[in-house]
Amino acid sequence: MVTSISINGFKNVNTVIIKGINRNDVGDTLVNDASSSLTKRYPLPLSLTADSTGFVLNVNGISDTLYLRHKMIIKLISEFCGFAPNYVLSGSRFTAGIDSVKITDSKVNPQSIAKTTNDQNISIYFNASAH
Amino acid sequence: MTRILVSILTLLLISSFPVLAQTKGDTWRYEGPRIGMDLSRFLLPTMQSAKRNGWEIQADIPYKGNLFPTFEMGMQWFDDKQSTFDYKNNGTYARLGIDMNIVKFESLKDHDFVFVGVRYGYSVFNQQTDNIGTTNYWGTITTSLPRHDMSAQWGELVFGMKGELLPNFFFGWSLRAKFPIAVTKDINMHPYIIPGIGKTGGGTPFDFSVGVYYRFPIFRSKTIPKPIKMGGAKHPGLNNENDPNNPDYGGSQSGGSQNYNRGGR
Repeated sequence: MVTSISINGFKNVNTVIIKGINRNDVGDTLVNDASSSLTKRYPLPLSLTADSTGFVLNVNGISDTLYLRHKMIIKLISEFCGFAPNYVLSGSRFTAGIDSVKITDSKVNPQSIAKTTNDQNISIYFNASAH
Repeated sequence: MTRILVSILTLLLISSFPVLAQTKGDTWRYEGPRIGMDLSRFLLPTMQSAKRNGWEIQADIPYKGNLFPTFEMGMQWFDDKQSTFDYKNNGTYARLGIDMNIVKFESLKDHDFVFVGVRYGYSVFNQQTDNIGTTNYWGTITTSLPRHDMSAQWGELVFGMKGELLPNFFFGWSLRAKFPIAVTKDINMHPYIIPGIGKTGGGTPFDFSVGVYYRFPIFRSKTIPKPIKMGGAKHPGLNNENDPNNPDYGGSQSGGSQNYNRGGR
């Protein structure tokens, strides 16, 4: 799932650390990015077994949580590549530091990773006042 | 089963009498239904890593000399163990079609022909996938997709030849381009092999067939089938009676509808 992160009011995103909820072991960090930018894009994996996936997003030192609801089916890519999960995103739930989450492409599949700049599955907008 | 074998042997015996007659130098042309087996189906298991077994029978019957309505039927069992899943696909298929001879028969005893043909195919099969393993950040799952009964329809363009090696025994081969028309939808996977079509992985599926056939010589005639006339513009030279390309050319040829015989083998 290609995810873009930005802060309202054209404020720079300086540091981003993303982990899966309940994944606190060493090596469980999905993103640890200290470069400064107006918008950042990351591919994030979704759960294989549950019908929702939770992330802890620490942006500019402030942590928020985001849950995404989805349905998953397993689909064959090819005889030699095997199967991959395909998702349809159906909704989101998040804490107060996040202003809004926009699902721009609800279909998440192996081709999603090929999305170009300004094209993503979801866009997360953080509150400028909280960050 | 014994009854079937006895019937087949009886048919072979009965049909062998005209063959004996043929050897006495008469001028009959013997025709009849031809039935055979596609040997390439037995070669496939040796050419692939997956277990792919099957059989196919093929039959045709001459119609107006140069046309051969054709029926083919077979079964296939496919068992593939990939690194991240196990796949089974089994089914039965049949094809109906027609072949058209595109070369002249040169004598009454000449039955060798090159053909182009078309087929309509229908397959009933099932697929099942087990031990599908998927891993990502959140963990690993192993799942299965239950047996799904499916069907497929397709068209084929065929090019090939059949030659009579011994009286009434033929050897032949064909190349086939296959065009899937409809396949039962499966939300999880499109079958990557379909009985009767073969692998469907990318582009137009191609296939080959190598068979041996026996003809039951139950019809006889004293005429060589006339070549099928193809459409198209006339050659300018055809209007010239002195042109050797013109069928009306007087030259050394004598007239008659059967004198296209180039002297036989």
